[in-house]
Formats: sequence, C-alpha cells, structure tokens
Amino acid sequence: MEQAINYIYNKIEAVNPIHSKKLKKNIAFFDERYDELADAFFKKYLHILQLQNKTLDYAIDCYLQMIADVNSETIEFLRTGKYTSSTFDEVNNRVYARPETMEYYMHGLIMSQFLWRHHYQMLDYFINTLPGYLNKTKSYLEIGVGHGLYLSKALEILDDKTILTAVDISTTSITLAKSFINDDRIAYKLENIYDLDNGEKFDFITLGEVLEHVENPLQLLFKIHDLLSDDGVLFFTTPTNAPAIDHIYLFNNVSEIQALVKAAGFEIESEKSFLSEEVSPEKAEKFKIAILYGAFVKKAKITQ
Amino acid sequence: MNRSEILKTVNEVFIDILDDESLVLTEETSANDVEDWDSLNHIQIVVAVEKQFKIRFTSQEILSWKTVGEMISSISSKLN
Repeated sequence: MEQAINYIYNKIEAVNPIHSKKLKKNIAFFDERYDELADAFFKKYLHILQLQNKTLDYAIDCYLQMIADVNSETIEFLRTGKYTSSTFDEVNNRVYARPETMEYYMHGLIMSQFLWRHHYQMLDYFINTLPGYLNKTKSYLEIGVGHGLYLSKALEILDDKTILTAVDISTTSITLAKSFINDDRIAYKLENIYDLDNGEKFDFITLGEVLEHVENPLQLLFKIHDLLSDDGVLFFTTPTNAPAIDHIYLFNNVSEIQALVKAAGFEIESEKSFLSEEVSPEKAEKFKIAILYGAFVKKAKITQ
Repeated sequence: MNRSEILKTVNEVFIDILDDESLVLTEETSANDVEDWDSLNHIQIVVAVEKQFKIRFTSQEILSWKTVGEMISSISSKLN
C-alpha cells in the first residue's frame, strides 16, 4: 500500500509542486503507527473507489480541487479577516445541497486525513484516548459523521454491545460513511441534530470539526449537553483560523474555544492543539495559521 | 514603475515572508529554486504583494504563475 501513498505524492508533486513541499515535510514526521493506519485505510478506500467505478487519480483530483478552494478562501481570509460565508443557508446552497461539490469535497477531506499531519495527529489522539472511556460507553453518537473514519475507529475500539448512531445532514456523507462501514450496530440518520429529540441520552458523543460549520456553536453545545448522559463524555474538534468553503464560525484562537465549551456547561478532561503547518509559534500567530483543537469534556459539576 | 523596480519590491516581500535576507530573485526564479517557497508562504506572499502594490489578483492569476517574472507581469498589468 506504500505504493498508493507514493503514487499520490508523485502525482501531487507533478501537478502542484508548491503544495507538494508541505506534504513532504509531513512525511518526515510520520511513524510506524501512521504506516499501519494509512495502509489499512488506503486498502479500504481503494476498494470503495473501485466499487464506485472511480480511480485513485479521481481522488487525487478531488483533493487538489479542495486545496484550490482552501487556498482561495485563505487568501480572502487574509485580505478581510473573515470567512467568506456567514450563514448556514449560504453554505448549504454552496456546498451541502450540491452533490457534485460534496462529492469532491468529501473525497478531498478523506485524502487529507492521511496527508495532513494535524489531521493524523488528532485521529491518533482520539484512538489513544477513547479506550479510557470504554467501560462507561454503552451508547455512542457521532454528529456530522462526514466520511466515517472516526466512526470506524470507534467501532473497532468500543465494546461489541455498544449501540452506535451516526447523524449527518448530507446524503453524500451518509452514503460514503455507509460504504466505509457496513455494520448492523450503527444506525445512520440523515437529519439535523436539532431534530433528534426522542429523549434518548448518549454516553459518548463525537463532534469532529462541526462547530465551525454552524452559525451558533454555543447553541449546538447546549443541545449536545442535553443529549449527553450525566456522566457522559463529549469528544470534539474544531479549528481556529481555518477558512474553507463551508466554514461559518471563526474562532480566532484556542482560548475562544475553551471559553465557549465552559459557557456551555462542560469541563475539560484532556485537550490537544495541533498546528496545521510546521512553523514556529511566532510565525503561526503572524500568519494566522490554523490550529486544530480537540478535547474530551464532561458536564461540569454544579457547585452550590 | 518598471519591471526591475517591481522585482526589487517583490524581492523585499519574499525576504520578509521567508525570513531570508540572502534571497535574490530574478524573473526566472521559480518555486523549485527557493526551498521555502511552499503553499503556505505562497499565499502569504500573494497577500503581502497585493498590500504592497494596492492591487488584487484573481484566483486564475495566482494559479497560473510559474516564475517570479509571470507574477511581475500580473503586477505590471495592474499598475500601468
């Protein structure tokens, strides 16, 4: 499978040599654990592409299209200090309701999971930390399941009796996640999380890179607080300064995220921040480099 | 502003962004010749050059440059 990765790097270098330099810096960082995970992932992914009559070249083109989008959004962000979209309706019309956009965007994001260092680092953090919550997790919910990679890891780690639910508002995401993970333990729901209101509580909720996609992340965190059992745990990730075609809510720094989570009634059990580029902290601040923040949080104890 | 004056200003922007005082650009210089000219720095350079010359590039222009000279042609067409 090393072949697939080499093929990807070579093609990207030929088409977009400037971007290829970033990827090459990542290679030096990746360890044996990465090789194992990436190997298993690409075997599965190539099979899915084949079933859809698609090729690895198609996936690479999707990735490069996503990179072009990110670059033009970043330039606009550096010009204005804002993301280009500010409402859900805007990004819905622009991305989620357009299957052709969602299609390349999802494949681009899947590829980034193993091409971008910070995406791999966050997945690694999740895989290493989730086992600590295994005994207390009888019900698991992922909101915004996307391509399903985190869900597939949760399925591997959690007890066989755990019931898993995956919610997403995009048909493309649900279809893609289902093709990655076909398991009876998972109930896929194509709906808005705010419509999930049957009184069910979950022991563990995962919310990977969703907060930046909503107009009011505090409201979403309140909803999650309601959905979580009393001793339940939320794992969430969200980036600072990360312009993209479907990002709405801008976190300027990690402190803003931490403050929001506390305002929603959570306390942080553990947390990690990963820079999206290999630069010094000074340069990161000067250039407004994205930081991917992730944390395991619990409901804060009410003190009287 | 002629091309050599534009090149001189662009060179200063590159020095600032790449933090490399020794950098000497020519019109033929490409990303292959400058190790730190990667995707991150490219975007920062684009925005810094825009600010410096008070111009706006289109997405197509940004994607089309292969050399510093091509960037200078874009700048020159907007200034004159």
